[in-house]
Amino acid sequence: MDWECCWSRDQIEPENCPYIGEGEEDLLVSQRRRIVEKCVECPRFKNDLARMKGSGYPLSDVLPYILTEFQEQKAQMGAMLSFLNSKTREIKFLREVGLVLQTSLDLDEVLSIAMTAITAGKGFGMNRAFLLMTDRERRHIRGYLGVGPKDYEEAWRTWEDIGRSNFTLRQLARDFQKTKLTSEKVKFHDILNQLTVPLADQGHIFNRALQGKKPILVENALNNPDLDRGLARILGVDTFLVMPLISRNRRIGVIIADNCITHKPITLQDMQSLETFAFPVAFALERASLYERLQEEVAKQKAANLKLREQQELIVKMEKMALVGKITSSIAHSIRNPLMVIGGFARTLLKGSSDDDEKRSYLESIVRETRQLEDVLSEVLDYSESLVPVTDFWDLNELVGKAMGELEEALEQAAVTCRMELAPELPMVRIDYKQISYCLKTITATALSAMEHGGELRIESVQDGDGVLLRISDDGKPLTKTAREALTAPFFQTQELGEGVRLSLCKSILERQGNSLSLISRPGGGNTYSIRLLTRKENI
Amino acid sequence: MAKLLVVDDEANIRLLYSQELSDEGYQVVTAGSALEAVEKLESDSFDLAVIDIKLKNESGIELLQRIVKERHTIPVILCTAFSCYKDDFSAWLADGYVVKSSDLQELKDEIARVLAKRHVKGR
Repeated sequence: MDWECCWSRDQIEPENCPYIGEGEEDLLVSQRRRIVEKCVECPRFKNDLARMKGSGYPLSDVLPYILTEFQEQKAQMGAMLSFLNSKTREIKFLREVGLVLQTSLDLDEVLSIAMTAITAGKGFGMNRAFLLMTDRERRHIRGYLGVGPKDYEEAWRTWEDIGRSNFTLRQLARDFQKTKLTSEKVKFHDILNQLTVPLADQGHIFNRALQGKKPILVENALNNPDLDRGLARILGVDTFLVMPLISRNRRIGVIIADNCITHKPITLQDMQSLETFAFPVAFALERASLYERLQEEVAKQKAANLKLREQQELIVKMEKMALVGKITSSIAHSIRNPLMVIGGFARTLLKGSSDDDEKRSYLESIVRETRQLEDVLSEVLDYSESLVPVTDFWDLNELVGKAMGELEEALEQAAVTCRMELAPELPMVRIDYKQISYCLKTITATALSAMEHGGELRIESVQDGDGVLLRISDDGKPLTKTAREALTAPFFQTQELGEGVRLSLCKSILERQGNSLSLISRPGGGNTYSIRLLTRKENI
Repeated sequence: MAKLLVVDDEANIRLLYSQELSDEGYQVVTAGSALEAVEKLESDSFDLAVIDIKLKNESGIELLQRIVKERHTIPVILCTAFSCYKDDFSAWLADGYVVKSSDLQELKDEIARVLAKRHVKGR
């Protein structure tokens, strides 16, 4: 019998079988492999089988069964092989991603590798992905980064570029971090801004995914009455995947992935692969953000240490100066009185002596030299006194009146009127006049800077137990956080220079003398500074 | 003849003041402490008091405060070693203020000025 197909021949020529393609030439000389790989699918072979069946050959009835079974098994083998290949690719890919995620402490690098992995064809091949992270206060999930094309043109251009390059995933991620990270944040700014969700909103799909620790595939979102259509409208797609990011039971954030360009369905396998991937991503994100915070804290600590050292040096210097001042002052005082007596009596004697008295020139010398010494002492005393606080009893109302008189011009320039409500008959306060005057002027200047558009400054003094309370209130904007912190932290802990430091210094001066300074800053506007000064001596 | 009370804790300075101010025609009474000053103020009447700011057990300012509180109506001149507080002191309470010096001319001028002012006011 002449057969149509070439199955019966040991060797054939290329023109004998149209199904043997380029690179398969070895099949021309291998009958067995040719039958298994080509003939079983060949229509000519099927025709030969049909002809054989008609010839009454006993095996011809059985052969089609074997053939069908063989074809089915071959198809199954093919499917399994393809599955294995895809799994091998996935493992290779996860290993590559895992390696970067395990070693990187840079938040931007982690973000870049994670988002590239989700969207690159070499990775999970999703069209677009959004990363949302829980904020530091752990109150909200906020849109942080979006990656993917905005439209068909951009998609086509990007995919063509990536297709041409032979980059590994890590190289792609580096390239993304270098050139696109910032622009992608800007590109998806509007969408990201709309994705903020409170963590307390238990019904929201993000929180449901975090609660269940499982990804949720949202399909047909625009027509599903059980789902919030708002999210689908923001994303512009009705099918998307919500992947929770959880590390050690801590909610790190959520990844939303979709195929907004190709509309390719998201399969169960896509979900499972992404779920495997989400775990190291969450862990790496948490570690990187903790590391970032740690770095910030270390930097703060370093700055605080530096400031502390400077302050300590300053304190030591000030203490030394104060000691020098005390010693100088004490010596000057003990010299001054005898000097005054010597000079004074010399003058008395001089007055009583006649013009021709030969001792007169001696007396004149004593008077002249004493005067010179007294002038030197005056300078020394004024200087040494400026180094040490000189506390004494003073009338606070007098001090306020005098200090505010000096600030009259500044008040006028700031269009601020000053209302003084000073209680009469206040007991005297034991203070260093100049230092308290400085504090009052500093606080007034701070209050004026809060009243940009003018207003009223109120200064009240009232008796308060064994002290006197001086309240300075403005109706300006609330004090900045830095300035407020300056009043709660010790002087050396103040982080930034500026108004805070001056207020902090005032607080330090007041407290050193047993007094206190506190502040009430109302959110709606207006600040009240309260200085409490002691009237009793024993508390100093 | 105007009668002055001079308060200073240094005996020699009290002597100097007595001598010099008597020469100026004032009747001078001295006190070595705030306590003594108060006693003298209560038992006698004065036209003016010259008080040193730094006294041993009490400050001159405190004595001044007591004088004001207890309604002794005499004017007070404070003497001090510090020149820098002059403005602050003269702004309140004391009628005069001088920096201590062996040259008593400034004190004498200040006494004359305060007494003249008092005479005009009829205090």
